[in-house]
Amino acid sequence: MALPSKSAPCWLKLADGGVKRLKTTNLGVQMLAQRLELSPMSKADKAGEFFNFFTKWEKGLGNEIAQLASL
Amino acid sequence: MKSLSLPLCDAGRLNGLVALADAVALIQAGAPLAIAGRPEALAQLPQGRWIAGTTPYFMTAEGGQVIDATRVFVTDLSGLGGVSVGTYDADSLHLISEEAPENGFALAIIPFQSAVHERFAREASTYPQAFLKPTVGWIAGFDLAEAGGHALVYDGLTGTAHANRVAVMHVELPEEYLPQVEIVNLFEADGVDVIRFEEAGFAPAQVVVNGQSQLFADYVRGRGLADGRLPLVGDYAGARVNASIRAVEGDSVSLYAPVFPGINYAFARPVADYAAAFRDQLEATPHEGALWSCNCILNFLYGELEGKAIGGVAGPVTFGEIAYQLVNQTLVQLRAI
Repeated sequence: MALPSKSAPCWLKLADGGVKRLKTTNLGVQMLAQRLELSPMSKADKAGEFFNFFTKWEKGLGNEIAQLASL
Repeated sequence: MKSLSLPLCDAGRLNGLVALADAVALIQAGAPLAIAGRPEALAQLPQGRWIAGTTPYFMTAEGGQVIDATRVFVTDLSGLGGVSVGTYDADSLHLISEEAPENGFALAIIPFQSAVHERFAREASTYPQAFLKPTVGWIAGFDLAEAGGHALVYDGLTGTAHANRVAVMHVELPEEYLPQVEIVNLFEADGVDVIRFEEAGFAPAQVVVNGQSQLFADYVRGRGLADGRLPLVGDYAGARVNASIRAVEGDSVSLYAPVFPGINYAFARPVADYAAAFRDQLEATPHEGALWSCNCILNFLYGELEGKAIGGVAGPVTFGEIAYQLVNQTLVQLRAI
């Protein structure tokens, strides 16, 4: 499954608590999610962080990417 | 190098205890190495492409071992890609990930109880590149049976020992591989109380237990957990990250890793047989492409792992582990997949 574009709504959903619905055992995803939950960053910036992370590790995140559309 | 009789990891790469003379030969042959051992042994190594840290404790395929200064533990990182060696002070810790290769990882060794240890523990997850260029590694320690022990890390390029800098090897991976950081944590929340902290730190005075604030020392004693055998388990969006109890004295509790506000903690459920629990969890953990691993001194001691095999994973036994950030009482594994 292709990675959604940077403007896709799924990144803002992830940043707005949707990450809690993501089923993952990927340690990087989990620790990044925790960091962003506690961060004072804007939701748009958090969404950008998620997008950059998923872009970098796309090859290893097939399971997580498949869930993005249903968040 | 092929004539040496050396322990190999799954990927056919040297990852085990070797005689000091064999480590010297590997360094002189130009191999990039991550090394661990006693300071008396590490001080004898020639200059080269290596980093090291002190500990006499190791897990090997045959079981846990405490070694003397005639051997060191060597992880050979040859044949992967570009490798560089450096050290970082407390004000430049963010560069550990920033200066890592685009596709690769940073292997960091930090001296226990140093300013760089405390600062990295507090900050690591906030570094801008922390999750884009992963850092793994360990906290160097010492022989607990010797009085006055202190931890050192080494920059092999200059052969210099440091008590307050981080030794780092940046390792590039071939384009077709990704670094995968994984942890094996035997501990699960016991489900008794929800514990939160209002300030970050290694020595929180107060704790909020099920919404009620109280002295952390009183709470730990009241639960009968002042012996420190069971860590706090933090819920990091589903990942279990431990902060282990170091000491409870008077009104103070000190920890081996900081706790943070905004995270739900619980004390861990007891583990009856550490070796069996590790074997079970490691059986279910993929090892393909395993490059490096470490395990915690508290697991080694409380689990009485000396002489016990836990499933073939080999590496230094450490005073803290790094998987993106500092973790405790945890096995960390890095794979290239």
